[in-house]
Amino acid sequence: MNQLQQFSLDKSLLPKGKIQTIGIVGCGRVGQDVALHSARFGMDVVFIEISNERIKEIFKKLEEQLDNVIAHWGITLSEKRLVLSRIKGSTSYKELRFCNLVIETISSRSEGTMIEERQEIFQKIEAVVNEKAIISSNLATLMISDLATVLKHPGRAIGIHFIDPIGKADIVELVKGVRSTDDAYNKARRFVKLIGKKAIKVNESPGNISIRMIVPFINEACEILMEGVATVEDIDETMRESSGHRTGPFELADRIGLDKVMKYMDNLYAEFGNSKYKASPVIKRLVRANYLGRLNGKGFYNYEGSKPVSNISFTIIN
Amino acid sequence: MKIIVLNCGSSSIKYQLIDMPEKQVLAKGLVEKISLKGSTIKHTMADGTEHQFEGQILDHQQGIEYLLGVLTSKEYGSLGSLNEIDAVGHRVVHGAEEFSGSVLINQEVIDALEKSTELAPLHNPPNLKGIYAMQQLLPDAPQVGVFDTAFHQTMPEQVYLYALPYILYEKYKIRRYGFHGTSHKYISARACEILGVPIEKQKIITCHLGNGSSVAAIKNGMSFDTSMGMTPTEGLIMGTRTGDLDPGALLFLADKEEISIKYTSSLINKFSGVLGISGVSSDMRDVEKAAGKGDHRAQLALDMFAYRVKKYIGAYAAALGGVDIIVFAGGIGENDIETRKNILEDLDFLGIKTDPDKLGTRGKETLLTTDDSQVKVIVVLTDEEMMIAKDTFEIVKRK
Repeated sequence: MNQLQQFSLDKSLLPKGKIQTIGIVGCGRVGQDVALHSARFGMDVVFIEISNERIKEIFKKLEEQLDNVIAHWGITLSEKRLVLSRIKGSTSYKELRFCNLVIETISSRSEGTMIEERQEIFQKIEAVVNEKAIISSNLATLMISDLATVLKHPGRAIGIHFIDPIGKADIVELVKGVRSTDDAYNKARRFVKLIGKKAIKVNESPGNISIRMIVPFINEACEILMEGVATVEDIDETMRESSGHRTGPFELADRIGLDKVMKYMDNLYAEFGNSKYKASPVIKRLVRANYLGRLNGKGFYNYEGSKPVSNISFTIIN
Repeated sequence: MKIIVLNCGSSSIKYQLIDMPEKQVLAKGLVEKISLKGSTIKHTMADGTEHQFEGQILDHQQGIEYLLGVLTSKEYGSLGSLNEIDAVGHRVVHGAEEFSGSVLINQEVIDALEKSTELAPLHNPPNLKGIYAMQQLLPDAPQVGVFDTAFHQTMPEQVYLYALPYILYEKYKIRRYGFHGTSHKYISARACEILGVPIEKQKIITCHLGNGSSVAAIKNGMSFDTSMGMTPTEGLIMGTRTGDLDPGALLFLADKEEISIKYTSSLINKFSGVLGISGVSSDMRDVEKAAGKGDHRAQLALDMFAYRVKKYIGAYAAALGGVDIIVFAGGIGENDIETRKNILEDLDFLGIKTDPDKLGTRGKETLLTTDDSQVKVIVVLTDEEMMIAKDTFEIVKRK
């Protein structure tokens, strides 16, 4: 019995203009990480998925992630309950109607940019949220201005690109489109601050900062590998030690997912036409052989769980 | 002036609605087991009638919303509307070296408090939540922060400094700060008032024992030493905190468990203490029940807790060059008969003669020692909220 509910204050007393509830459309790995991170910072989260089975599956994955944090002393069991209680899943866009900010995070693994699908999602979101709500996308190589063209109020669209791993990265790339308003940008920035991160202002450009730097980094590492200059492990170790990078280029590629990396490369090459973005033959060969990185346990390294146990057989890349 | 005082602990909120300067308590209550099973609000009205409401309180924001709802309700409330509240007094755990006294809360104060959060990860966040919630719900009511650390700012430097390179103190202000200052100040003064002795001439050891626990050594009415340190983690074993721990062991643990600094902090603040040893609960009542049923680890946790307090009493008696008064306060200090007995056992060499008829007292201000005991041991009901209301009144009046 919840006797306390009778003492709940009238919602009209609660402040307006506050960012309290966020929506996520498409709750794959990135959407799940955003949901968990936001809920841990006190936000209410509503995510939209295609079916109730998928919603159940996602809650199972969210629980597993939180259990892993508990096993490493990160949070307590009651904190886990609290976090999960803030997250709600639905198949209906109507559940987004109270959201102050909605982020589209549909999978970028499918073929093509899926720009039409994303635009359709933007329109569906706009149909239910209030006029002050921000509509955003976790875009890596796409342009927020392109997605915003279908909106009645394109000024409310802001690109929010989360840096992986979302729980650990201190920054978020915040992208203002051609028609994005200052008000919308500031609101998105407030959200980023509320979830404990720093907003890096990015003037709209394919790849933002992060992906645009990472793609040639990985490509050049592949070149070095193909020339037989050094092994996968040695290249990674050299970059970690010499440049202070947390991970080397191949570890990074495996973590992002080689199919995703290839997609970034294709998109950036299509935008800029510069060969430094063109997907390395090594990456293409691996993806064709279904070596996708950590996602399926084999990429530049073979994995047991999240730990690399050996590096790739030379026959694959030669 | 109607002042609402909020004392937000890690899983509870103590509140009082006090009419100052008359010191009339219009209502008071305790929100308990926030984010634990079986949350409750125990509410006491001005006429003393008590009511308990059960439900689910997921976090401090929700707890505050409900308690304000109770205060403005037709049946149980003491207010017609939230607008009748003239000021809000907040207990704030860590003021660092920034705040040696109570202050009117403004954005500068909030920024400083947010910076101090890393020093008190379990407490400053709920304190801040109380401040934010009140800013939103009562935007026109002035808010005052009363700091736990303020009373201990009289510690001399040979007591508050750690034996780290001095340059690190200058750079980061790493030092002992101590907490529960408002309580230690109140209970030492109250003990002397009850005993009819001048506080300036007493050597007092105050034991605030609750979910958070600390001991203070008070000389000439001022804090001389205290068990909590730069953060509330040091000192006594607590509900979920380690208390004293070899720093070398902590480094070893972080390395072996391969966990980050953030998770290591979580380990020593949220998973340890009485909960970590007993595996039962952070709440002494639950642990005592389990010990009563023969649970060895539960008993071990109780024994460890009592021993650590005893050790500090001995140490502070040495630091003060003797002791005249020992004070027990806080949830455990005021109510946990067995734990108090364990602590006081074998301390007769200090000059303590306990009165067996009084040792079983619970929830009352009581002298636990005989009339001829050289050292007086007394239970005082801590009233941090009244101290906070007093400071709030003074500051808002001067505004």
